[in-house]
Amino acid sequence: MFDLRSLWDIVVLFAIALAVAPFFGDYLARVYTNRPAFGDVVLAPIERGIYRLLGTSPRKSMPAREYMVALLLVNAGVWVFMFWYFFDQSTLPLNPTGVPNMSWDLAFHSASSFVTNTDFTHFTNESQISVGAIMIAWQLALFISPATGLAVAAAMVRGFIRRDGTIGNFYVDVVRSLTRVLLPIAFVGALIMVMLGVPETFNWTVIAHPITGGTQILYLGPVASYQSISLLGTNGGGWYSANMVSPLANPSAVSNLFGIFIMLLIPISSPFAFGRMVRRKGEEWPYVGTILIILVVAIALFIFYQAATNPALANFTGLVQTNGYPVGSEVRFSLPEGSTFQVVSVYSNVGANNIMIGALSPVAQLVLLFGMFTQSTPGGEGTGFGMLLLFAVLAIFVGGLMVGRTPEYLGKKIETSQVRWAALALLSHPAAILLPFVVAVVAGQVPIDASTVGASSHNFTAVLYEFTSESANNGSALSTAVFNDQTPFFNIAGAFVMLVGRYAPIFAMLKVGEIFARQRTLPAGPGTLRTASGTFTIYLTLFLIIVTTLLFLPVIAMGPLAQIL
Amino acid sequence: MSEEEFAQLGARVSVRRRPHTSWRRVLGDSFRMFSPAQQFRHPVMFCVYVLFLFLVVLTLVPSLFPDIAHSYNPGYYLAVTIILFLTVWFANLSQAIAEAQGRAQADTLREIRSGVRARQVLPDGKTAWVASDILHIGDSIEVQPGEPIPIDGDITSGAALIDESMMTGESEAVIRESGGDKTSVLGGTLVLQGTIRVRVTAVRGESFLDRLIYLVEGQGREPTPNELALGVLLYAFTITLFTVVVTFIFLANFTNIVYVSVATIVALFVCLMPTTIGALLPAIGISGINRVARANVIAKSGKAVEAAGDLDLLILDKTGTITVGNRLAVQFIPAPGVAPEKLLEAALLCSSVDETPEGKSIVRLAARRNAPTRRLELGSYKVLPFTAERRMSGILLQDGTEAYKGSMQAIEAYGAVLPPELRRAGAQAAQQGMTPLAIALNKQAVGLVILKDVVKPGIKDRIRELRTMGIRTVMCTGDNRLTAAAIAKEAGVDDFVAEAKPETKLTLIQQEKAEGRLVAMTGDGTNDAPALARADVGLSMNSGTSAAKEAGNMVDLDNDPTKLIEIVSIGKQLLITRGALTTFSITNDVAKYFAIIPALFIAVGAASLPGIAILNVMGLSNPQLAVLSALLFNAIIIPILVPLALAGVPFRPSSAIDLLRKNLVLYGFGGLVTAFVGIKLLYLLLAWLITFPFVHTLGVIVAHYLPFGGL
Repeated sequence: MFDLRSLWDIVVLFAIALAVAPFFGDYLARVYTNRPAFGDVVLAPIERGIYRLLGTSPRKSMPAREYMVALLLVNAGVWVFMFWYFFDQSTLPLNPTGVPNMSWDLAFHSASSFVTNTDFTHFTNESQISVGAIMIAWQLALFISPATGLAVAAAMVRGFIRRDGTIGNFYVDVVRSLTRVLLPIAFVGALIMVMLGVPETFNWTVIAHPITGGTQILYLGPVASYQSISLLGTNGGGWYSANMVSPLANPSAVSNLFGIFIMLLIPISSPFAFGRMVRRKGEEWPYVGTILIILVVAIALFIFYQAATNPALANFTGLVQTNGYPVGSEVRFSLPEGSTFQVVSVYSNVGANNIMIGALSPVAQLVLLFGMFTQSTPGGEGTGFGMLLLFAVLAIFVGGLMVGRTPEYLGKKIETSQVRWAALALLSHPAAILLPFVVAVVAGQVPIDASTVGASSHNFTAVLYEFTSESANNGSALSTAVFNDQTPFFNIAGAFVMLVGRYAPIFAMLKVGEIFARQRTLPAGPGTLRTASGTFTIYLTLFLIIVTTLLFLPVIAMGPLAQIL
Repeated sequence: MSEEEFAQLGARVSVRRRPHTSWRRVLGDSFRMFSPAQQFRHPVMFCVYVLFLFLVVLTLVPSLFPDIAHSYNPGYYLAVTIILFLTVWFANLSQAIAEAQGRAQADTLREIRSGVRARQVLPDGKTAWVASDILHIGDSIEVQPGEPIPIDGDITSGAALIDESMMTGESEAVIRESGGDKTSVLGGTLVLQGTIRVRVTAVRGESFLDRLIYLVEGQGREPTPNELALGVLLYAFTITLFTVVVTFIFLANFTNIVYVSVATIVALFVCLMPTTIGALLPAIGISGINRVARANVIAKSGKAVEAAGDLDLLILDKTGTITVGNRLAVQFIPAPGVAPEKLLEAALLCSSVDETPEGKSIVRLAARRNAPTRRLELGSYKVLPFTAERRMSGILLQDGTEAYKGSMQAIEAYGAVLPPELRRAGAQAAQQGMTPLAIALNKQAVGLVILKDVVKPGIKDRIRELRTMGIRTVMCTGDNRLTAAAIAKEAGVDDFVAEAKPETKLTLIQQEKAEGRLVAMTGDGTNDAPALARADVGLSMNSGTSAAKEAGNMVDLDNDPTKLIEIVSIGKQLLITRGALTTFSITNDVAKYFAIIPALFIAVGAASLPGIAILNVMGLSNPQLAVLSALLFNAIIIPILVPLALAGVPFRPSSAIDLLRKNLVLYGFGGLVTAFVGIKLLYLLLAWLITFPFVHTLGVIVAHYLPFGGL
């Protein structure tokens, strides 16, 4: 077993995050409603300059379609730039280690992966991507993609407080996300990481002489500034292939805890920002509650099943599991610390690893999969909360009928059009996972061991995990040992899954926001379903769990469940 | 005032007939609905229907699908096909029953009118008998005493005493006359006295009864907004489950983790689809209209019924809705030094010949207080009626005794001196919205009788119920503020509008609607029509003018404005039934998964895997029976829930969050438990059945006669 005292680290960390969240949420609300906020003196003139440069103004507000077009324009620009850089990185600046160009399909996958906030890498960082490609191209996406997510959530929430059918100005939202949220915090985060021992240097390599003899090349670079935005922006790619397992990226237990904190910061503050934006007391709590219930249960299950003895060990004489650490765990951290990082990373759709997921027990893998199935507890930057709002719209629709009124939320009626878009967004997820999965299976891309029943389940889980991670824009990978995902098939299929998994729900969120924004706000009466209540919180949690289970149980049964020994 | 007294005062006891449902027609309809055109209207059931046809082909000609041939088991395929048939049929049946109920409801009302002939007034002023079917709107007809009125219309000349009991259940005949607000007559009612000329306002096929039938039979029934939204949700859910299930076949069969037969995957899909709510959705909608009809209210659209559940505000007339409509005696106050008996006797005397409701109520109250009655037996007397100059009424007996009652000023003018105590008491009563009448016996003021606008018994409770449901009530009255405030307080309404003019209601409705509230009102006069039309729910009285009836979206045959409160409950019940059955349907699915998924693994001998064993909580060891019992449960839950869908889920007014909690436990958790228990029981039943040799033989015979049974 593990030292129970290390659980306290986690409890204290969550307490701190929850204590900070209301204040940070309030700040976010100020940022996205153009109210006076900290930093106006310096930033407001800069922003005005940028708006003038872009030829836009905060006074302009867009309907959903226009907002989406602007969003796609900016994202496509970043995508094209990245694709070009990766495809041609050997000749482009900053390639000190002489990395060759990416193949077109790998560049296609990588650009799509980074622009969609997925940061799923089909390559080995050290040998396949140049420092320049990371610092100039990829790092641009590390900022733009979370800024896009935050803008979408802000636009959707505006639907509840507007009556003119518009949801804000995408350019303004992105600029303010960058100047007010991502850049300053990533900067401070990088400084702290440097203090904790993460490299930040323009020396690219250093030769080490390990005690085992011989020499080893250690790759260095501006790791802290990369890693900081990677975690804060729920991106998740790593400077190193080993990501947060690497002692250079994650030197100590403190840096590990700090990592958990900045991954959680924005996702856990989003409900509070929502509560402040709609200016209704207590409306953030159903979301905070749902997120915490599911996250805490997930962490507990994960730790419990990781600590449990692996029953397969009994088949080998002399092998016992004395310390509860299964293969693949980073032993520098205690089990709770390592597990919490992993669960929070997957549940907030960061996807950074500090454990080998392929070596986890099946239940622990199932726990991670579940987080990507819901993609909203708390989910990625902005889009995770948007997803949770869509779940809530459907839950309130069914629940509202049960109290005998046309369902309404925050004074806005939930009608056919919102139900249609919300359902589309939630249900596009299983489709984006399962359809390419079938293609992969039928096309013989999944290694199958037909000799014994259940033997294929691990391979099955690996491919399921791949597509789930891509559709959820998560980025964590189960294992590259099971099948080679660096093939044109998985590059291209994966890229499409990520693009659909990103932009289909985003469009639905914007549409739902716009439809709400067209309605006037109805006065609340005693007959209105009170959403700021414990009953609704529990209802929302159960609704989310049941809907997710209904959609994914069959594949879970064939994958992780069939693997449980 | 006691309940029975109230009944005497003219409260209506409405007669609710038991409609006759034709079961043969129900059965016929349920099979007629198997036509593709009919099925296509309900997407969820249409899927089941298509799958049923697919399985019929598959069962009969398995060779068309070579891939499945090696897993083909004729008995199993046939069983799945039959259960799918039952599922569709049960859905048809539920709708047919709901339609039949509505039709029966309308038929009982319509029977009265059929085959009626009318005396048409021709241009030259003469009359001629014609069949009422050929009349057009605007035609004029004459109805004489003893004749039924053939068709709805407005009286253009004359007045008549009309028996409307067959339509409204009200036993007392009513007076209808040309001019004013009481011109409207209803087809099917009987003229008792007087000859009237009536202008036809509705032709057959357009009157309210016909509209009701259109509505329940589906021609005129447009899906309501909530129904549409729910439909979209169910449809999206179905499509996604389809994706899940179809991909499952490929994933399972290509990876060899498990092997799934087509019948099983179809069964899985049908089980997971929200068939329960999908099947019952039409019946729920129709039954909402039926329940309104059973309350003798004809809804002109399903939307109106649903809107009733959403109301935020009811505008209630004071007179007739909140109060009985007449002022009634509630208290005697004797003058100082006067024996109470003397006051009672005087009050009884002066009111015994007063035919007004006020007078009658004084007699009743006095009698209850045991007023001495001997002087009434004297025989001859002279009535001193109310005149404009005298402003009081009374009686002059043979012995010279003279008793008067009137306003305090009138009695003083008459010469009786009111002691200051009485004057104070009178002023106090007036302040509370009551009317004090002074009573004088032989020019001596003997006391006061206090008249009061009496609030209907039970109205206070209903208004409180409305408040619990979150609906505000506003009382509208032409009375002065003082009186209005007193009544409003007593009835417990949230707000009131005093000194209201005819257009006040319209202004009020426009105001409230501008703030986004849904408003309902009742009305019967032509000047109510604009407001009725503007209101989200406008309940017009059948006794009202045609204009009012056209403007409103519901017509109350009983002319009882408090009906509005009942309709609110029906509307809420309608929405709750939909939500509850949706929740039930979804939580049911969880249990069905737990029956079918393990069955798939049992089939390949992988059931011993602990992860799968966890899923098999019901311990169903025979995979085919497990699938069949889940599918069978899915089918028979439909007829089991039909009574609930038709009657609506039980509904007691309470706050929204309490309702949610209660219904979540009842239908969410209940749905989960019911499905687990139900599937297990069905499994045991099927397992027991197949132990009989007879069943086995049957299977062999079936397999033999299927064309490719031997495969």
